[in-house]
Amino acid sequence: MSQQLSSKPFYDEKIEGTIIPLPLIKDCYAVFACRHKFCREVCPVYQDDRDESHTSYGFHTALLGISQGMGELADIRETITNCLECGACELRCPNTLFGGDFYGASTTTVDLVRKVRRDLVASEIGFEKYEEIVATVDRYIGYFEGPEGDLTKWADGLNLATSGETMLFVDYFNAFETTDIPRNAAKILTAAGVDFGILPRPGATLGELLDINLETFVEMGRHNVAALEQAGAKRVIIINPHDYTYFTRDYTTHIGELPFEVVFITDVLEELTNNGQIVFDEATANEVFSKVSYHDPCTLNKICGITESPRSIIGKLPGVTYIDVTPVEQWSYCCGKGNASFKTLHPDTSYKIGAKRLQAAADLGVSQLVLACPHCKDQLTDVGARSGIAIEPVHILTLVAQAMGLD
Amino acid sequence: MAVEVAEALEAAIGELRTALGTEYVMTDFHQRAIRTTNTSPMGLHQWKDLLPDVVVMPASTAQVAAVVKIANKFLIPITPRGAGAGLADGATPMKRGIIVDIKRMCDILEIDDEDMTVTVQPGINMQELNKVLRPLNVWFPDDPASYPVNVLGGRIGAGGWSLLGTGYGHVPDLVCSMEVVTPTGDIIRVGAGGGRKIRKSSVGYRLKDLFIGHQGTLGICTEVTLDLAPRPQAQLPVFFATRSWEDAHRMTLAFNRSGIRCLSGVVMFDEAKVEFLRRDDEAWIPLPEWVNSAVATICYGTSVELEAVKSSIFDIGAANGGVYMGQEISEGDWASRHDRYHLAYHGRSDGTIRLMSWSCEDAAITWSQLPTVKRRWYEIAEALVAKHPEHFDIWGMFMYTGNPFRPWGDFLTEIDIGVNELEMTPEIWADWVEAKTQIARVSVECGGSVSAAHGGTREGEVDVACYEELKDGQFDLMKRIKKMLDPNNIMNPGKYHLDEAYEDEETA
Repeated sequence: MSQQLSSKPFYDEKIEGTIIPLPLIKDCYAVFACRHKFCREVCPVYQDDRDESHTSYGFHTALLGISQGMGELADIRETITNCLECGACELRCPNTLFGGDFYGASTTTVDLVRKVRRDLVASEIGFEKYEEIVATVDRYIGYFEGPEGDLTKWADGLNLATSGETMLFVDYFNAFETTDIPRNAAKILTAAGVDFGILPRPGATLGELLDINLETFVEMGRHNVAALEQAGAKRVIIINPHDYTYFTRDYTTHIGELPFEVVFITDVLEELTNNGQIVFDEATANEVFSKVSYHDPCTLNKICGITESPRSIIGKLPGVTYIDVTPVEQWSYCCGKGNASFKTLHPDTSYKIGAKRLQAAADLGVSQLVLACPHCKDQLTDVGARSGIAIEPVHILTLVAQAMGLD
Repeated sequence: MAVEVAEALEAAIGELRTALGTEYVMTDFHQRAIRTTNTSPMGLHQWKDLLPDVVVMPASTAQVAAVVKIANKFLIPITPRGAGAGLADGATPMKRGIIVDIKRMCDILEIDDEDMTVTVQPGINMQELNKVLRPLNVWFPDDPASYPVNVLGGRIGAGGWSLLGTGYGHVPDLVCSMEVVTPTGDIIRVGAGGGRKIRKSSVGYRLKDLFIGHQGTLGICTEVTLDLAPRPQAQLPVFFATRSWEDAHRMTLAFNRSGIRCLSGVVMFDEAKVEFLRRDDEAWIPLPEWVNSAVATICYGTSVELEAVKSSIFDIGAANGGVYMGQEISEGDWASRHDRYHLAYHGRSDGTIRLMSWSCEDAAITWSQLPTVKRRWYEIAEALVAKHPEHFDIWGMFMYTGNPFRPWGDFLTEIDIGVNELEMTPEIWADWVEAKTQIARVSVECGGSVSAAHGGTREGEVDVACYEELKDGQFDLMKRIKKMLDPNNIMNPGKYHLDEAYEDEETA
């Protein structure tokens, strides 16, 4: 299970105008003092706009500058929105690479960016398009408060249980926007003989809440943990990698140790293929599959370190010709949607980052780009339609379901 | 700020916005603050005084020329900035004004794998460039510690040095020709003669060299044609441990004299550097106590070449008291050479962690003078630490081969000192500057140069560079050239004491 190498409880202490808490000053200084700025070229936003203020070094230095009397929090309300929250800079930072284990001093830019955005909101300064983020949050929270059946409508006809030692957790994005993904997950697990249930009323798992309203995020998290525990969960399967980061990093930080194991769907499928519970249909393989590459979702690759199981599954799909781009090389990639609010905040940059990613796949000569994230699928499908780059983004569960003959 | 200066600045900013677009003319504090710093330490007490007034990000040669002309019109200083990864304060403005950040100019304009050149804009990073060149089996072999972040314009402005320069040449050796916007806004091309891709010509003065290593005082490179090399088939890093630094020093001379052509670099680690690495480096902590110093050799070439020289490398090491440190540490340390050399957490005071930045002296010293320089430098550094144990910390010395294309002669000689910027005071900073002056003076007194890689522009060493190292007419000629090319003293004023060129006129 993923875990944070550095715990920084001082992030809970609010920045007030020009007052930066001392532990945060030292934390920012540790990035500033590095001076090598390896966080730059790996950052998809920086690659596009070449503005060093939109990097981990830039954010930390801006806060350090405030602490030295050069500005105030409101001055960085625009700059702090220029982060995908993808985590590439954290990995590339020497503090993480060489100080993470030894000193417990990893750089945690994603958490810092979220903290600053929340402080801006709490200070009633906000940031551009804040209202749009609020509207998105309100819409999803509305699902939680709406009719119970709506939240599981994606599973109509599948006759899934609502309790069990294994629970499949389905987030609102999957439940409402990309319903084929949870349906395929359920079909695959059922066909593999896995007994599992789903929550009739899961709480919202929104990255946007981490940007603007931690209290509601935690409240929803407590609901999810309690509901899953009450349902008898010993193992919770996650199909949205963003949720995987919330369960394994944010829930454990803000709620505490979880009373169940949390696993990502591709790790489960790898296990099921290895032990023979999933078998692919060789007969239809060549009609179905093509030359593909795999896009590492930022949340899996850069934040949680899950890179092997998707590749392992793709490697077992009959008829597939696979062209790999290593996870480390993909540190500098992103679909452009970001971990939460970025596409809403900066749609043009989001599109350009997505188009660059799609073009990189096209340059490999593949016809499909395999994904393991509904947000990447949604974003790259949009980008493909707008750009005309002839690559089909396809979710890994779609391919697995096809290969199992589950259509 | 005087009223007339403020009005001129406001008018200039208006014209800059017209020329570049509002988005690329930035006055927010954080945009200016982040572009004040570079990789060398500064006391945070100085930061606010060094802020520029405005940052611009041009996208073309024409826009750079427009910015320079506007600066001349309103007599506002310009400081060119690449990655801000330099160690000589070149990109730090001394007189506020305009920061010209060139990182938007990052296109590859032409790759020629027959004549082996690549033409690029100055804002491109070397690692990103080499990703594009890789499928053609060629590379641009500039390999500084800042390889993953630095950009070509900064490398040229600083006259950069490369870890592999002994094999492949340093930045000044790798520039065929370049386009430069001069301090008056003219656009010129300089090279070896006139041919854009020619490396050696006897036509005209060697003006190209004038625009390399000038620390942003003579112009802004806006396009450069670079020399490429065949991508090496293989690499052979071999690290030897020694029982004394004297063994390491002697071993290095043997490598210098070996005649091995694919030897692309030799590095010495002294006793204090090994002790420093033992603080927190998991590869070095387990080494036996007798390991006192180390020598790293790196060969790049064809597989056949490296296979042929392998035994010679090991024989030379063993014959000079070296013990091979093993494949894991040799390959691992070499592979992570760009990543691992500085963390703020390295700093110690009385054995406890104290966050510090990193200062790196980089004198050019001949092999024979290394023992003297090493001894005298430590005397200076130890006195400084004894006086301010909470503010400075000795992190040891490296000595790298510095001669381009040849492993003998002079060495980039580096003493690393941790600097507690967060708790710096003007008084302690003055002691630091004095120590730097003494260190620089030792280099010159031993027949060396203050800087092999970074430039001699930092506070502390700049006096020694200008008034002692370059005293036999060179500094006077620099001032005359500066004034001729930059009559309004627009380009990076205050650097290298070149303001004196204009003071002389006022005095007269």
